[in-house]
Amino acid sequence: MYTLLIKQFIRSKTVVLSTLLILALGIISILIGDQFLAKQEKAIAEVTEHQQEHIERNVNWHNDEIGLLLYYIRFALINTPEKLAALSIGQRDVNSSIQSVTIRNLEGQKYDTDLNNPANLQSGNLDLGFVIIYLFPLLIIAFTFDLLSEEKEKDTWRLVAIQSPSVRSFLLSKLSIRMILLYSALLVLFVFAILKLSLPINEALLAFIVLSMLYLAFWFALCFWVISLQRPSSFNVLSLLSLWVVLAILMPASVNNFVANQYPVPEALSTMVKQRDGYHEKWDVDKKVTLDKFFAHYPEYKTYSWTAEGFDWLWYYAMQQMGDDESRGQSEAMREKIMQREQASRTVALFVPTMHAQLLFNDIARSSLGNNMEFLDQTHEFHEKMRLYFYPRIFKNASVEAENWAEFRPEYFSERTDTSWAAMVLPLLLIAAILSTISTFNLRKLKAI
Amino acid sequence: MQRETISLIARQFWSNTFKSKAIYPIMGIVALIVAYAAYSGWKNYTTHNQIRSHYQQVARQSWENNPDKHPHRMAHYGSFAFRLKHSLSMFDFGLESFTGNAVFLEAHKQNTVNFSEASFSTGLLRFGEISLAVLLQLIIPLIIFFLGFASIALERANGTLKIILTQGANWKEVLFGKSLGLMGMALLFFIPVALVTLLLLFLTEEATAVGDVLLRYTGILLSYLLFFLVISIITVLVSAFSQSSKDALIKLLAVWLFFIILLPRTTQALGSYVYASPSKIEFNSAIEEELVKVGDSHNPDDPYYIALKDSLLQVHQVSSVEELPFNYGGFVMREGERISSDIYKNHLNTLLETYEKQNSFTRLTAWINPYIAVKNISMALAGTDFESYINFQKQAESYRYQLAQEMNELQMELISNEKPGPDDEPHVISSDHWKEFPDFKYQFIAIGTALRSEWGSIVALLFWSLASVGFIFYLSKKAKAI
Repeated sequence: MYTLLIKQFIRSKTVVLSTLLILALGIISILIGDQFLAKQEKAIAEVTEHQQEHIERNVNWHNDEIGLLLYYIRFALINTPEKLAALSIGQRDVNSSIQSVTIRNLEGQKYDTDLNNPANLQSGNLDLGFVIIYLFPLLIIAFTFDLLSEEKEKDTWRLVAIQSPSVRSFLLSKLSIRMILLYSALLVLFVFAILKLSLPINEALLAFIVLSMLYLAFWFALCFWVISLQRPSSFNVLSLLSLWVVLAILMPASVNNFVANQYPVPEALSTMVKQRDGYHEKWDVDKKVTLDKFFAHYPEYKTYSWTAEGFDWLWYYAMQQMGDDESRGQSEAMREKIMQREQASRTVALFVPTMHAQLLFNDIARSSLGNNMEFLDQTHEFHEKMRLYFYPRIFKNASVEAENWAEFRPEYFSERTDTSWAAMVLPLLLIAAILSTISTFNLRKLKAI
Repeated sequence: MQRETISLIARQFWSNTFKSKAIYPIMGIVALIVAYAAYSGWKNYTTHNQIRSHYQQVARQSWENNPDKHPHRMAHYGSFAFRLKHSLSMFDFGLESFTGNAVFLEAHKQNTVNFSEASFSTGLLRFGEISLAVLLQLIIPLIIFFLGFASIALERANGTLKIILTQGANWKEVLFGKSLGLMGMALLFFIPVALVTLLLLFLTEEATAVGDVLLRYTGILLSYLLFFLVISIITVLVSAFSQSSKDALIKLLAVWLFFIILLPRTTQALGSYVYASPSKIEFNSAIEEELVKVGDSHNPDDPYYIALKDSLLQVHQVSSVEELPFNYGGFVMREGERISSDIYKNHLNTLLETYEKQNSFTRLTAWINPYIAVKNISMALAGTDFESYINFQKQAESYRYQLAQEMNELQMELISNEKPGPDDEPHVISSDHWKEFPDFKYQFIAIGTALRSEWGSIVALLFWSLASVGFIFYLSKKAKAI
């Protein structure tokens, strides 16, 4: 019986074609991810090489004044791309993975964007995440919407009802064939991804796979529920597609609009203006006022000497520091605002599987907005570390040659994340379980006609 | 073809659609989305324009409040350019969420335009945005498909098609009638959107630009009308040439998925695959390298500037730069700014050309994909397209250049060549000069320029409209009643 059902299902040209199509799209998406990773790795290699040349050249030009030298040279911090980011590129294409900063005022530098074609960003990435979130559900719908109604419309249902010991298990075996086929396709894609991208087999990969499987399970459960209403095929297909449009386009896009309107970020612009004024206006302020503020922040530098007349580097870097110190409030308010956006999206996502899957894929692949915020925090620490290292050297005008400049290579940041399995798995599991229970209940009285 | 017959069939389609109860919930849902999209667009526009013009003023005030000082300090003090939104961006967000909004303009340095909405986005932006334009481009076609997939296939299955054809109507009339009926249904959804957009425009637009805005608005209306005409005809034709209405529905949905969701993403990915664009590091290093080759004013031993100095001394018949009739430092910086800006501009143009090439694949598909055609025209007229993105960058850069050069000129003319001694007052000029320098003012692209850049899409859309009508004539000979 089961083999017959399989044969009957596989014989359909549409089934074979659409399965091949999704495999092809999946493979393309993995290749796109691979290219994305390659581009990131190339940029990292470039920044490493460039930093070395850049430091060497500037050391040659300004080898008598370390204060002037540090005005120019940049140090890079790299947000290490996870291999899994190839499967869910997330915000990684929007937000730069490399920060290259001087020890001057940080707020004027840290938000510098990467170079991007906005049309590419708008159309969005064709990554595996997209294939799983958007396209697999369509296939699930196409394969299951007439699971029951087809039999009724072709008048084979009466025959089935008489011949099979349990009509419900007959339906379930039909459903299971479709599940096996699509899960196998998913598995093939993951195997291809593991081989092509040489993904490390670890908890993150496992989480990615489990999440994908549960997400598909949600869609199977949803389709099963619509089937269980025992309405005609056209009703099933129209309602399932409408659900798809709502879940995959309208809901997330509306929530995105809502979040963007609810939490506008004027703080970004005020930070920008404030950091300019905070530094530049100090040129016209009494030196002592600026230095007092600086010494209040860093009492350890009080011992260095400065003159009331003319230019000195201690005063110069104190002015630069004021750009950061005086825009700190704005900058923190901006961070706060962005975290509110993140929080709001996550709360809604608990109830909308498509959004949940997208945000979690990005989390696992470390390509989320949260990841970028941590990277910005880390940039702050990195910048502080570099300036505290050089401040004393500049203030006592240490010799440029005394420093081993070759040592300053780009540093790497890697987000520490623990997969919270419960938060990841439970929302999907719960929704799928509820839908399946209702469907089974609906099917308890299967009419023979 | 008889006009009465066509209108009879159109009216019959119209009343049949209202007989099915499915239309009411669809209309209700669409009304809700229209309301939400309109509110979102309006809110987005007013909030951001308020924020941006506020900070443009704040930044300007601090610029003007600077005391007397050396003009080079002001060149570094710098200014900002904030991108204002066009009032039609309420209707079509276009690329705006993906382009930066603010840029710091200073001497010697071209900063990136930062703080795009996308950079604050949580990953949900991947699913798109809801705007009135998105509704017209994505959702209304889907509704047209839902309403029209059975238009002929079902009549054939019921046997009513045979009756219509034997009663004197010919195939052309049936196809035109059904298409017009379906188009009428589309208008039922489109007209409210058009009215809401007009209302929003009147609520927010300053009187001066009304003519231009209305012209753009009319252009947008016409494009969508043609788009819906094409979609309606395609729906009816697919219905006529499918074996069953289910068959027609599946074909239409495949068309929607392929042309609206898959093809644009794929062609865009293909474009960036074929025309790889440089990373920021690559871009900046290339500029830095070229600058070092041509002449870097930051290098104390740069041969270009040494030669320049020598020739300058010779021309003016003096032995040291202090004796020159103008400030030498200002002269060097003016030269440096000119060279570095030229180099930057060339690299930026190459980069933007690469982006345009990346987009060209998608652009070309306008010929097979009316969705892309209408999307491009809509963005261009709403001032939210790629052209507008480039245009803002160019305006900001040219303002930056003027600012830096103006300060350099002031330095050359008004600052003494003698370095002040340790006990002298530093060289300064009057703060009146800061107030005299005009603020950055963003200009939207003229409608003519916008249309010229989209002529390909316009022709493609017109071609599609004619072709779809042509299909009716051509296919009406091949259609079968049974």
